[in-house]
Amino acid sequence: MHTLAGAYAMDAVPPSDRAAFERHLASCEPCRQEVRGLREATAALAAATATEPPAGFREAALRAAAQARQLPPDAAVPPSPWRALRQQGRGLRGWRPRLGVALAGAVACVLAVAAVVAGISAYGMHSRLDQDQGRDHAVAMVLGAPDAKMMSAPVTTGGTATVVMSHRERALVFTAADLRVLPSSESYELWLMGPAGNQPAGMINMSGGGKMASPMVVSGLSSGDRVGMTVEPAGGSPHPTTPLVVVIVLTGA
Amino acid sequence: MPGGSADAGQGGQAGQANSRQRPDPLADLLVLVARGDAEAYAAVYERTAGQVLGIAASVVRDPAQSEEVAQEVLLDVWRSASRFDPELGSAAAWVMMLAHRRAVDRVRSEQKAAERAHRVASAEIAYDEVAEAVEARLDRERVRRCLGSLTELQRESVTLAYYGGYTYRQVAELLGVAVGTVKTRMRDGLIRLRDCLGVDG
Repeated sequence: MHTLAGAYAMDAVPPSDRAAFERHLASCEPCRQEVRGLREATAALAAATATEPPAGFREAALRAAAQARQLPPDAAVPPSPWRALRQQGRGLRGWRPRLGVALAGAVACVLAVAAVVAGISAYGMHSRLDQDQGRDHAVAMVLGAPDAKMMSAPVTTGGTATVVMSHRERALVFTAADLRVLPSSESYELWLMGPAGNQPAGMINMSGGGKMASPMVVSGLSSGDRVGMTVEPAGGSPHPTTPLVVVIVLTGA
Repeated sequence: MPGGSADAGQGGQAGQANSRQRPDPLADLLVLVARGDAEAYAAVYERTAGQVLGIAASVVRDPAQSEEVAQEVLLDVWRSASRFDPELGSAAAWVMMLAHRRAVDRVRSEQKAAERAHRVASAEIAYDEVAEAVEARLDRERVRRCLGSLTELQRESVTLAYYGGYTYRQVAELLGVAVGTVKTRMRDGLIRLRDCLGVDG
């Protein structure tokens, strides 16, 4: 398990293995230190390829920033999900109204999003690890995207799965609540399904007594992809071995 | 204009508790960027844009897509500056992590669409392609020298993973070696690189 530190620092660990390694990192301070040091080395690898940007590149970057809202800091989360949502709404132009309008039952949807936001922020409070910072950042980028869109679907074995996706970010955040609690020999596994087949998208970490899925980011999406979940043996499978318990189609932009 | 803050090199100016031994001017700039300071962002651009574009181009290759990815990363830095935590590493490492991840995501989604049918016939071609693309760009003597201090097998794995954007499993397949061997080479290679460069953990 320790030997994955190098691959992980180089973003060379596929989603199917990443969750297990990040779980390991959570309990291994020397490993975290090692990953941190190795990332500094990879930063030097990146810096060594520095190249002169073309004309107009700087103006484009500065202009884009001038027009973009910034994400609020990952500060202490107030207990009420409503307040969390309002604070997020202040910082993110067009995010709340757009999500509200896009879905039927505005109140129910806003509540659901607030739960997602509160769940994510609460999770982020407890850990200050490289991978959590990366994951929370990725989550925030999707939620904060101007084209963020939310979709939900019932899970056949119980519960509801929710996806917030952004075509602009080519990524989605997956959560689920009220799931059937699985025995320790089984785990929920996420899949990204597209024309090229089914790709493992990671094992789902459970919280809330085993009923709530911690937010997971799936990136590198293409249109026509679907995201789904199955029940697999605890260590996961390279391909689904049981029928999908939920499927969400990632509709085009 | 927030208080004459261009002198970010003093460290601790923004009053952050930074347990890193080294001063990190870029980190201080990010604190200002997080408050919406456009001048600070322009300074961050000066320090990072070339590197962001460089790593994007090394991984993504296609010039138009590389520029697109680089612009997305720079916007990412503006939007999420408040999320940077100096406890977890240097600001440069944070920015390059954002850049590398976006570049790799772009390449892997392209690969997925084509069923990775580009699967190169032999590892040598894959390695040569990547190494060639990178060689032309490696103008930092220290990195070049330190990469040279790796064994050929370590350098191969690190290059394919970092600059090629391949996962360790794909590298194992490309090289026709066991997954465990690749993991070890990647880790040992990066450790040697880290020690050679003398970068702080």
